[in-house]
Amino acid sequence: MKKSLHPLTLWVSAILLAIGVVALDNALVALAIVGAVAILVYIRRDGSPWNRSFSLSLRIGATIMAIRTIVGILIGVPIPGTVLFRIPLLDLPSWMPGIRVGGAVTLERLTSSLHEGVIIATMIALFGAATSLTSPHKLLRVTPSFMYEIGVTLVIATSLFPQLATSARRIRTAQKLRGIENAGLRSIAIPLLEESLSRSLQLAAAMDARGYGISRKRSRYRPQPWLMRDNTIVFFALALSLVMVTR
Amino acid sequence: MITFSNVSLIYPHSTKTVLEDLSFQIEEGEMVLIMGETGSGKSSLLRLINGLVPHHTGGILAGDIEVDGISTRTVKPGALAHLVGIVGQNPIQGFVTDIVEEELAFSMEALNVAPDVMRKRVEEILDLLSLNSLRNRSIATLSGGEQQRVAIGAALVMQPKVLVLDEPTSALDPIAAEEVLSILHRLVHDLSVTVILAEHRLERVIQFVDRIIYIEGNGETSIGSADEILKNSDLVPPIVKLARALNLSEIGTSVREVRRHTEAIRSRDYKELKNLEKRESPAIFVNQLSHTYGDKKALNNVSATFHQGEIVAIMGRNGAGKSTLLHSIVGLHSPDSGKVTVNGQDPIRLTGAVRRRSIGYVPQEPSDLLFASSVHDECNQADRDNQLAEGSTAALLHRIVPAISLHAHPNDLSEGQRLALVLSIVLAANPEVLILDEPTRGLDYRAKAIFGVALKEYASHFNRPVLLATHDVELVAEISDRVLFLAEGDIVADGTTLDVLLSSPAFAPQVAKVMAPKPWLTVSDVVEALGESS
Repeated sequence: MKKSLHPLTLWVSAILLAIGVVALDNALVALAIVGAVAILVYIRRDGSPWNRSFSLSLRIGATIMAIRTIVGILIGVPIPGTVLFRIPLLDLPSWMPGIRVGGAVTLERLTSSLHEGVIIATMIALFGAATSLTSPHKLLRVTPSFMYEIGVTLVIATSLFPQLATSARRIRTAQKLRGIENAGLRSIAIPLLEESLSRSLQLAAAMDARGYGISRKRSRYRPQPWLMRDNTIVFFALALSLVMVTR
Repeated sequence: MITFSNVSLIYPHSTKTVLEDLSFQIEEGEMVLIMGETGSGKSSLLRLINGLVPHHTGGILAGDIEVDGISTRTVKPGALAHLVGIVGQNPIQGFVTDIVEEELAFSMEALNVAPDVMRKRVEEILDLLSLNSLRNRSIATLSGGEQQRVAIGAALVMQPKVLVLDEPTSALDPIAAEEVLSILHRLVHDLSVTVILAEHRLERVIQFVDRIIYIEGNGETSIGSADEILKNSDLVPPIVKLARALNLSEIGTSVREVRRHTEAIRSRDYKELKNLEKRESPAIFVNQLSHTYGDKKALNNVSATFHQGEIVAIMGRNGAGKSTLLHSIVGLHSPDSGKVTVNGQDPIRLTGAVRRRSIGYVPQEPSDLLFASSVHDECNQADRDNQLAEGSTAALLHRIVPAISLHAHPNDLSEGQRLALVLSIVLAANPEVLILDEPTRGLDYRAKAIFGVALKEYASHFNRPVLLATHDVELVAEISDRVLFLAEGDIVADGTTLDVLLSSPAFAPQVAKVMAPKPWLTVSDVVEALGESS
C-alpha cells in the first residue's frame, strides 16, 4: 500500500502552483507542469472512484480551451499581424463600437487565445489532480468540526453518486433484456429515484442509530499527522511558485 | 433487558396495524428469533427496539418499550447507540466511510470517545471478528460475508448490551452464513450480549436460538421456545416438516436431535428412488468461456451444455462467477473468449421482441424491470409488448399469486408478490429459455414454494430449460434436476442435484444431513421412499 499524504498537502501545493502559473503566464511552462502532474497522478493512482476526476478535469480543460479559442477568433478587438485567413465580417449596429465579429484572423490573435486557454486548463488540471489523489472522506476528517454538518451531506453525496451511476447502468441493461431497446427517461428515472431515495433514508437511519449528532464534540480516530514528507512537497511547490512569480 | 408492554404500531396513511398489543420480555444474553411472513412487520419490530421506528419513520406507537430501563419514547435513537447496536438488512447501504478501520471507529468518533480508548476497542473488535487482515481494505472490495462481519463489528464497537440484526444471512452463501452465525453464537455465550434477529431461512438459525417471536399473518403474535412455536406454526424449516411427515413424537431443531429420533427409519432398507431420465436435447451451449473484470478472472474456460426441460441450479460461494456466467448466457456482455449459443442464436445480437421471445431474464433486483405506477399498468404494458389479449399477463399473475391487488403500486408489494409480478411479465413473452439470478432472497417458505411450482410448471409444460443462480440449497433440492458448482471461475462439479449436494457437507440440505447416508434430499423424497417400501 502506498503511504498516504496529509489530505491538505496536495491541495496546498496545487493552489501554490496555480498562483505561480498565473503569475508567470507562460503556456509552455504551464503545459510542462500539466505533464508532470499527469505523471504524478498516474504513479499514485490507487483505483478509487475519485481517481477518475483528473481525466475529467483534463476533458473540461480541453473543452474550455476550444471554446475560448473559437470565441477569441470570432469576437474581439483586432490584433494586427500576419493574416492567416479571413472570415466574413458581421455588420453590427453603430451603438456597439470597438466590437467586431468575424474579419481577419491573425496568427497573433490565434496564439493569444490559445495561450489564455492553456492557462485556464492548467489551473483546472491542477485542482483535478489534487481531487483525484485525495480521498474526499479523508479531506472531510480534517475539516473543522463546525463544518461537520456540511460534511455529512457530502458523505451521503459522495457515497451515493458513484452508486447512482452503477444503478443506472444496471437498470438500463435489465430493461434492455426485457426487450425495451430505447428505454425512456421515465422507465429509468423512476426505479433510480426510488432506489436512491430509499438508500439515502437508510444511510441517514444508520448514521442516526450509530449515535451521529448526539455529541456536539467529536473525537478523531487515528488523526493524520503532518509529516516531513508533506513539508517537503509543500516547500518544493512554494519554491517553484516563488520562482515563477518573481520571474 | 428489553421490555415491550402492550405495544401497538400503525404507520401513517395506513389502515392496518403492524403490531397489536404486543407484550414480552427478553432477558440478558438471550438469542431471540423473530419470524413471520414477508411484510408481517418483522423489520418494524426490530427497529422499535432502538427507536428508529417511530422516531425516523413516523407512525403512531401505543404502549411502552424499555431497553435496560430507558424508555425509547424519551430519547432519540442515537442516544441508545451505546446500548443497542443495529445491523440492517443490506449492510453496504449503511456504511458511512470507505475503509474498514474508519467504519469501525465511526460511532465512537460521533460520540466523542477518547482516541486511546478508540484504538483499543477497534483492535479488540478486529480480533473478535477476525477482521485484522482486512483493516485497511476498502469496504466496497469486500465479499458479502466480510461486509456483514464489518457491519456487526461497527455495531459491537460501542460495546452494546443488545445486538439487533435484520436478515443477517439472506445474501450470503451457506459457508459465509455459518461464519456469521457462529460469531453471533459466541457473542451470546462469551459476552452475554442479547441478540435479536429476523430471518427467513429458519434452517440456518433455528438451532442457535433460545426463543422465537412468531408474528402470524392475522397480526397475532406468539412467543415461546423453538419447539413450542414450531409445533404449530405454518412456517417451518424442512427439518420440522420431516418430523411431521414421519409422525415423530417430538420435533427437533438440530440435525443431531432429529437423527437420534430417526435412527430406526434410517436403518431399514429401501428400494432406490427411480432416477431421472437423462435429457439429450441441447438448448444452450457454452463453449470455453472466459471473462475477466480488470485483472480478476471471473470465468476460466467454462464449458457446459443445458438441455430442454431441465432446471439447472448454478451454485458456488459469493464471487465464484455465477452472475458472470448468467450474464454471458443472457448476452449482457461479450465474453473475452469462447462462445455462447442459445437455441442456435448468439445472445448478444438479440434485440427487442425477438429477445423477449428467446430469453426470459429475471435480474438480481427484480424491481429494475418495473416502472409503471400500478400492477395493472405493468401487466398491460407486457400485454402490449407481446401483442397479447388484454388481461393475459394479469391472468398469469393471478395463477401464481391469487391474492394480489391489481391497483397496488409495485413498490408496496411484498418481496414475493413483486417477484411473481416480474416473473409473469417475463413469462408473458413465452420465452424459449428462462434465466434467474438469485430469485429467492427475502422470500418466506410459502412464497418460495409457490415460486418453485411456477418454475417447475414452466420447465415441464413447455419442455424448456430454466437456469438459476442461488445460495438456497433447500430450493435447489426441491426443484432442480442438475447442479453446476462454480469456484473461482471454474466448474468444480456438474451432475445431478443428488450427486452434487450429497458430496459437499456445507451445501447439503437439512433432510439429507438427517437421513445420511440415505440418498434423500427432501421431505417428499423420504415420504416416497417410505411409501414404496411399505
